[in-house]
Amino acid sequence: MMHIGTGLVCGGKMKDMVEAGFDFIIFLADWHSMINNKFGGDMGKIRKAGEYFKHCFTALGLSEGRAHYLWASELADQPGYWERVLRVGKSTTAQRVMRALPIMGKDMKSQESEAAALFYPCMQAADIFQMKLDVACGGIDQRKAHVLAREAGEHLGWGKPVSVHTPVLMGLAGFESLEKGSFDEDPKLSRVIAAKMSKSKPGSNILIHDSPEVISEKLRKAYCPPGVVEGNPLLEYYRVLAFLGSEHVLLKRDSKYGGDIDLGSYRELEEIYKAGKIHPQDLKSNMAAMLSDKLAPVREYFSQHESILEGMQKMEAGS
Amino acid sequence: MDPEKRLDLVTRGTVEIIRESELRELLASKKKPRAYWGFECSGKQAQACTD
Repeated sequence: MMHIGTGLVCGGKMKDMVEAGFDFIIFLADWHSMINNKFGGDMGKIRKAGEYFKHCFTALGLSEGRAHYLWASELADQPGYWERVLRVGKSTTAQRVMRALPIMGKDMKSQESEAAALFYPCMQAADIFQMKLDVACGGIDQRKAHVLAREAGEHLGWGKPVSVHTPVLMGLAGFESLEKGSFDEDPKLSRVIAAKMSKSKPGSNILIHDSPEVISEKLRKAYCPPGVVEGNPLLEYYRVLAFLGSEHVLLKRDSKYGGDIDLGSYRELEEIYKAGKIHPQDLKSNMAAMLSDKLAPVREYFSQHESILEGMQKMEAGS
Repeated sequence: MDPEKRLDLVTRGTVEIIRESELRELLASKKKPRAYWGFECSGKQAQACTD
């Protein structure tokens, strides 16, 4: 199911791009999912999951019309697509391609990857050129794939796409329980990827469908040691989700604990949290209220489209 | 829309732009540039490879 990282971070940035006047394509990467063995590589299920994504983004304000939706398999059917994939592959080395795919759900040192994995970054680059894109957006874990596309584009005379990278939101366990292993030579990026992967554990992230009660309960259990900022998911959610696009955030608090605090910036929150002037419980209850509010349109949309949600839940349980 | 406002919308909340100078040039030269975000269609590991 879609979690708030995809729904609010990716979704929010895509809405920013649309507002800034971009012609925006939400690319449903069915072939790529097959390479990456999603749903055991079952294209029927992958397609259903893609339809579900389309509903989720529609509910978040990116309906067809504001953005375009395109399947990877539609793009790959266009004349010249596979030639582009091969041209990208010929412009680089197998080693560079391997380095562009550290997050295949495996440790990067593993030699057991399927050979089809090598196509993946080449297709990502080819997709960008086939769609004649000016900008490629993605989480920071997509950095190497985008750099590969820029290098290939320069080499082949196809132009260099600008890349826009967002943070990858950490799961509710923060740095408390990370996936073990090395996912990138850069230890910082490796940790980001490990934190991201930890989100595949049930209950370790907030879903865009969660009710206000479930959001509160998940946040109640979230890792949030008093005074600690590093690896604290609550602080990260404030930085990435609350302060984005707003000058200040009002933190509501019982008058017996000091009353409301008007925060002028994320830095200010960090300072006073480090100084022990805000209780974790206050961070959690305010974040729960904010997320419930942001996700209200999604709950409303899916209350009208229950079968879509149920279908996805069943498929996920069965895979 | 004023170019600075457009630039701010694209860059706010990001961790990296490669490269901001190219983005500025793009926004100055194109009214409706094309952009994308790719998503793997998966359930369990919702935010996966292409997103």
